[in-house]
Amino acid sequence: MTVTSPVAPAPISLRRNFWRGVGRVLRRKPSRMVGVAIVVLFVFMGVFGPLLYPNPLPRDDNALYASPSWAHPFGTDFEGTDVLALVVTGTRYVLLAGLATAVITVALGTLIGLLAGFHRGRWDTVLMRLTDLQLTIPGLPLLLVLSTVWKFTSPIEMGVVLGLLGWGGIARAVRSQSLSLRERGFIEAAKGLGLPTRHIVVRELLPSMAPYIAMNMLIAVTGAIYAQVGLFFLGVLPFDANNWGVMLNLSVFGGGALSSTAALPYLLAPLLAILLLTLGIVLVVDAMDEIFNPRLREE
Amino acid sequence: MITASGITKTYKQRGNLLGARAVPALRGVDFAIERGGAVTFIGESGCGKTTLGRIVAGLETYDGGDIVIDGTPMSSLKPRHREPFFRRIQLIHQDPYSALNPTRTIHQTLAAPLALRAKQTGRDKAWMEERARELLALVGIDPGYVLPRYPHQLSGGMRQRVVIARALTVDPEVLVADESVSMIDVSLRLGVLALLKDLRERLNVSVLFITHDIATARYIGGDGELYVIYRGQVVESGPTESVISGPIHPYTQSLLSAIPVLHGVERPGPERVVPTEALNEAHPDTGCLFARRCPFRTDRCEAAAPALVSDGDQRHACYHPQRRDVIPVEAVA
Amino acid sequence: MTRTSAPGVRVKDLTVVYKTPAGELPALGGVSLSLAPGTITGIVGESGSGKSTLALSLLNAVQPPGRIKEGVVEIDGLGDVVKLTGEELRRARGRQVGYVFQAAQNSLNPLKTVGKQLLDLGRSHDFDDLPALLKDARALLGRMGLDGGRVLDSYQHELSGGMRQRVGIMFALVLNAHLVVLDEPTTALDMITQAAILKIVRDVHHERGLTTLIITHDMGVAAEVTDSLAVMYGGRVVEHGPTTEVLGSPRHPYTKGLIRAIPRLSGDIDEARALPGRPPTLGTIPKQGCVFRERCPLRIAVCDTVDPEPITRDARTVACHAVGRLATPVVPKEYV
Ligand SMILES: Nc1ncnc2c1ncn2[C@@H]1O[C@H](COP(=O)(O)OP(=O)(O)OP(=O)(O)O)[C@@H](O)[C@H]1O
Ligand SMILES: Nc1ncnc2c1ncn2[C@@H]1O[C@H](COP(=O)(O)OP(=O)(O)OP(=O)(O)O)[C@@H](O)[C@H]1O
Ligand code: SF4
Ligand code: SF4
Ligand SMILES: [Mg+2]
Ligand SMILES: [Mg+2]
Repeated sequence: MTVTSPVAPAPISLRRNFWRGVGRVLRRKPSRMVGVAIVVLFVFMGVFGPLLYPNPLPRDDNALYASPSWAHPFGTDFEGTDVLALVVTGTRYVLLAGLATAVITVALGTLIGLLAGFHRGRWDTVLMRLTDLQLTIPGLPLLLVLSTVWKFTSPIEMGVVLGLLGWGGIARAVRSQSLSLRERGFIEAAKGLGLPTRHIVVRELLPSMAPYIAMNMLIAVTGAIYAQVGLFFLGVLPFDANNWGVMLNLSVFGGGALSSTAALPYLLAPLLAILLLTLGIVLVVDAMDEIFNPRLREE
Repeated sequence: MITASGITKTYKQRGNLLGARAVPALRGVDFAIERGGAVTFIGESGCGKTTLGRIVAGLETYDGGDIVIDGTPMSSLKPRHREPFFRRIQLIHQDPYSALNPTRTIHQTLAAPLALRAKQTGRDKAWMEERARELLALVGIDPGYVLPRYPHQLSGGMRQRVVIARALTVDPEVLVADESVSMIDVSLRLGVLALLKDLRERLNVSVLFITHDIATARYIGGDGELYVIYRGQVVESGPTESVISGPIHPYTQSLLSAIPVLHGVERPGPERVVPTEALNEAHPDTGCLFARRCPFRTDRCEAAAPALVSDGDQRHACYHPQRRDVIPVEAVA
Repeated sequence: MTRTSAPGVRVKDLTVVYKTPAGELPALGGVSLSLAPGTITGIVGESGSGKSTLALSLLNAVQPPGRIKEGVVEIDGLGDVVKLTGEELRRARGRQVGYVFQAAQNSLNPLKTVGKQLLDLGRSHDFDDLPALLKDARALLGRMGLDGGRVLDSYQHELSGGMRQRVGIMFALVLNAHLVVLDEPTTALDMITQAAILKIVRDVHHERGLTTLIITHDMGVAAEVTDSLAVMYGGRVVEHGPTTEVLGSPRHPYTKGLIRAIPRLSGDIDEARALPGRPPTLGTIPKQGCVFRERCPLRIAVCDTVDPEPITRDARTVACHAVGRLATPVVPKEYV
């Protein structure tokens, strides 16, 4: 009464299998590869960008608001600095802040969501009140107020603040996921087998929620990028030439990009960078579900 | 050896405007299961079978009565100390699709409880690997094929075998099989049933079998006890074969009569009983619970509830007991 | 153009393919099957054998990624439904062919009451007399042991699984279609509810003079209600004939195996035997030769290369080399 089955392939190492699956998922749609390329490009700029250019960036007083040319593909700013160089060197701040936001939102959101959803009862009530509280905090006004006393010179500080203001969404999503997952047979079975809670939460619950968490994380990162660029754009934060938001601010309020064409490239370059980065992230998000679902990954 | 006595369980359902509604799922159920024995519970949908199985496996609390495991009443222990007792009773879920974590390979799924076991008994990793293979071979699947795979890559029958293998990692004494084959392909069902039967014989594991397909009860627990449960109450019990071939309670008779007849191979039993109404939770709780649907009811039935009484080796709760010939018999060719 | 008598149905060489990453794979590989007017035909087979696909083809309702690749589905009064399109097809569904989808208990709209959904259905089929439609529905539900008025006013979540199943059957019957297709009408119901529903199906069938097709994986259900029984395996009809004969003296090795695998209430329980191996999936159905050969105890050399043709003799159709070759029915062989 044995089920006949084909001879097994030699068991392959799991980790390698996972990454191979990820590669397969990404290759399934060209758009995903484009997304990955964009994200990799920005990461590269973030890591090596500042090394590519001298610090401080050279100015050319003869070419203020120069129009695009071979030497300056996106023209120059009000001081004659290359706009492309500004964008490239500004990437690090944006990415670091985004990353810090992501880490905070995911860590806090997941932890609180899991605790609330898995333990239910009083924990749930208290934590969800807290989450509601977080969600009702008006982010932008608070940031405006904060920025009057805090200058956010380090991107990490910026990211931490944005993260603390943004974990509520993930917490809610994770909580509702764990509430529905804890009724599943495999979680019950794990409990019945006497497996420790840590194992159940980390090994059984979390992987099933990975796509949601990853998706929420990327959405949080995009939100954080907009938020910080917005803050600088509004001019509430101190001047820093190679920041995308500051560039936008200066091009609009200083260079009059909305009324004249001279500062247009100066306006478009950071805008384009933001759009491109967001696009890259959105394209990659599309693959998350398939990456974390073995059925879709192992096609 | 496990004895359950007078188990009651009432769910509080968050109701509508009228407030919370109490759903009595079990109204005092007694049974006992021996080492290596088999006990089957049959009954309609919603009569409390799953609730009972989950209570016995320690996954659900009970309101009244007690479960005694090897002489230790569970009510005398703190919840934390009950766990080692209940670990010896493993539930095999109805749905092999949701019972396995889709994001973990079978190897990972088996490794977790085995690691725990290894730690408790001071054994090493090699033992775990070997034990995983041993268990899969025991449930009749090729370890080399199954171990590196994810649940979705296996057939329903294989999945259910993996679920059984996982339950066996903790060397349980009782398997609670709740409709364990109803979601598997027909041609594979008997294989899983045969496996459970085989485990009883080889490992001396007892099986608490929950089903509404009575014929399968004969296959696994033919030599054991059968309990017919209705609206949370045992209405008839006795040796499986006796109850099936000579049902006394009209409800048992209705259940057996409802089993489709394989025309061409069998002919229907001459005294088939059909309930006069569908199951309705709103039927009164006084008197015989089956009264509203019973074709044989009298005024007496609605007045007071009949108690479970012995009749030969069977027990039943009915004022008008009568054996009826309801099951299909082999048609002579 | 509504018929008042039971139509016959003739399916010929029907091939339906599903598009998968591995290319287009056939879920039905040239199926031929006739439903005699006024009979109840059952289709049994394991999960993935193509039962639902065949049923959907009767309405030309196979959804992408699937498509009917070739074949003919002739329904009296409708002609070849494979050729019907657009409006004609929509009108035929419901009006002439009533359909209860698999998992009908989940196919009601959760946001509308049953009655509202019924009115929508009536309007989409240009019913003038909507009150009469409601009255019919109430009467049908009443027959099935439900309080028609209450059910029509209920939302899906207010009904139990068995009740929803009956609502699905009401929808299939209420437009007075004379061909009714029921896909797994009793799966996931307990025995008593199942028996009640099967009785209703049989009664309504006789009263209204329908042609009924019931799809199930449960031999018992088919045995209980059908006149004629088709057994499917791997996208083929491997055996078809009068139900009592197919059950009483099965000819195809798969049918025999299935019947032996049913634990029964009387007789020696240990005679029940599991079928070895497991059913094929779309990707593992052999491209050539008999689809059942991996599990077949009677396999012979020719089975590996040639797909057996269905051969009809004395009203019974069997597709098996071992049966086709012998002049007399095959002697049942023991499974190991
Ligand atoms: N978590 C719950 N909350 C509220 N009511 C519940 C819950 N679980 C079960 N019930 C109710 O308790 C009763 C018994 O349910 P149970 O699942 O034990 O029945 P069952 O015999 O296993 O039915 P089935 O054959 O459909 O599986 C039913 O009326 C059900 O609606
Ligand atoms: N949308 C789809 N895409 C790809 N393959 C499909 C699709 N729908 C069905 N199939 C495949 O077609 C084959 C036949 O499916 P079908 O649903 O007809 O089987 P069935 O006999 O009704 O099974 P069940 O008893 O599970 O309902 C199966 O192998 C199935 O995997
Ligand atoms: S006690 Fe009366 S109503 Fe209850 S089962 Fe017996 S005969 Fe029927
Ligand atoms: S054709 Fe051959 S393999 Fe197929 S069922 Fe018949 S004997 Fe078996
Ligand atoms: Mg149940
Ligand atoms: Mg189907």
